[in-house]
Amino acid sequence: MSSERSHKAEKVIERMGKKLTRQIVGSLAACVHCGMCTDSCHYVLANPDDPTYAPAYKADRIRKLFKSHYDWTGKVFPWWVGAKSVYTDKDLEELKDTVFGKCTNCRRCSINCPMGVDLATFNRMARGLLVHVGIMPEGIAHVAKEQWEIGNQMGILREDYLETIEWQEEELQEEMNDPAAKIPVDRMDANIVYTINPREVKHDPRSILDAAKIFYAAGEDWTMPGEGWDMTNFALFNGDDDLGGAVANRIYDKIEELRGKRLVISECGHGYRSTRCEGPNWGKRDINDFEIESSVITMLRYIKEGKIKVDKSKNPGIYTFHDSCNNARSCGMTEEPRELLSLVVKDFREMYPNRAENYCCTGGGGAMSMPEYRERRLKSGKIKADQLNATGANIVVTSCHNCVDGLADLIGHYKLGMKVTQLVNLVANALVLDRKSIGGGNGKKPAEANPALSGIITP
Amino acid sequence: MPTMEFEGKTYEVDEEGYLMDWSLWNEGIAAEMAKQDNLELSDAHWEVIRFLRDYFEKYQIAPMIKILTKELAKKYGKEKGNTKYLYELYPAGPAKQACRYAGLPKPTGCV
Repeated sequence: MSSERSHKAEKVIERMGKKLTRQIVGSLAACVHCGMCTDSCHYVLANPDDPTYAPAYKADRIRKLFKSHYDWTGKVFPWWVGAKSVYTDKDLEELKDTVFGKCTNCRRCSINCPMGVDLATFNRMARGLLVHVGIMPEGIAHVAKEQWEIGNQMGILREDYLETIEWQEEELQEEMNDPAAKIPVDRMDANIVYTINPREVKHDPRSILDAAKIFYAAGEDWTMPGEGWDMTNFALFNGDDDLGGAVANRIYDKIEELRGKRLVISECGHGYRSTRCEGPNWGKRDINDFEIESSVITMLRYIKEGKIKVDKSKNPGIYTFHDSCNNARSCGMTEEPRELLSLVVKDFREMYPNRAENYCCTGGGGAMSMPEYRERRLKSGKIKADQLNATGANIVVTSCHNCVDGLADLIGHYKLGMKVTQLVNLVANALVLDRKSIGGGNGKKPAEANPALSGIITP
Repeated sequence: MPTMEFEGKTYEVDEEGYLMDWSLWNEGIAAEMAKQDNLELSDAHWEVIRFLRDYFEKYQIAPMIKILTKELAKKYGKEKGNTKYLYELYPAGPAKQACRYAGLPKPTGCV
């Protein structure tokens, strides 16, 4: 049969052998088709009559291939274990439709699987196999290319990055009424090296200014890196471990060069997971010289240690919190954002289910960069929309840029009339700038903060 | 491919309503897109849209927000050259909303 196989199909099978880890083989072998995963998937809940959305069904598209080529059961009795190979490029296109277009790698089925099958992990592997032969959604290809070639996912040139920071520094000086207020770049031996998502530079730098205000108020010794500042990593979405290692090492190299003590990651779910949890593996590297933390934890520490003061009444409104799958399910960051949110708003209402059981914003796994699947995505968002609606909140807070956009899209589509914001915006807005409490302050009173919330997005 | 009807003509748009061919754009299309969002375009909205068009025609890329604010400040005064002002005009964000009205392609990446 192998002579009838297309070149790409041949390559996909060959590469699969190189990508099978114990974790993946365990997941491919362990499924007993009990169906527990079915009700855990937001795609299934929105499409109850379509079995092709069931996690076990989707997993079987990849499992067939594994059984056919790498598992003895498939060699002895292929008809019994459903072993089936891929032969044509059309077969690969069908696989693409499943692994990119019918799963956001949110891992909700994984934590609800009694056998411990981690579909998202081998779904990501399958994406990587297809990417290796050039089969992928155009948006994913474009972003990965920018990250490979320019060094950040939006192709921002170094001078544009530096000028944007300078501009935000001017705004900081104006708002703080302190010409000595700085956003340092490449300062050596800083306590904190702050890395961000390129969208903050290209489209919405308000979150850079808000973070700078918080560092300023805390009197922090911090810096932004001149290079290796993009903490996002499209390898998490396209399954290309080589890209993952290259991007993560760019950041780690820079922190080591600057001898930074702590790498702080702005509020971004996939960036946090990639840089803190997956990056060292992709980059084949031990991290010994610095700590890695989410800015959520940094901000919470500032309040607990009394380094910054906040006033809840500056953030009127009813708030709820959306857990990003990468932060909550994959990295276990569930309590800190809630604790922080409760410190900066008066009215916080929990969303159900929440924490590790929360439903995907529908924009995960790079879905926001794949407009071809938009209709499916919005339809699958019905469950999330109902969840949001039931909270009675008018503002949803999330610690992930992708979730911000995913949620904003759903709020617009389902006409929920809610707004979306992030913790950094709420903390900055709640700051009580008492000159005595600011390290290095000049004793002047800062300009009045804008009463309107700064980082808000109205769909 | 989804389409948009305007003055008896059919225009191809992407799944999120961005015009597929930026060169087919005209002011009526922008107004129509805004109308579908229940928004009436003011002179202030047009200033942003026209700048985006000019910039895109020159460089075939949407400007970074830094450039957009700087140029607006230069042309129309400092009070119009800041992020807050732009988000008041375009609450869904200048990158997404204003670019769509201006007939530019959808920005890529985490947006």
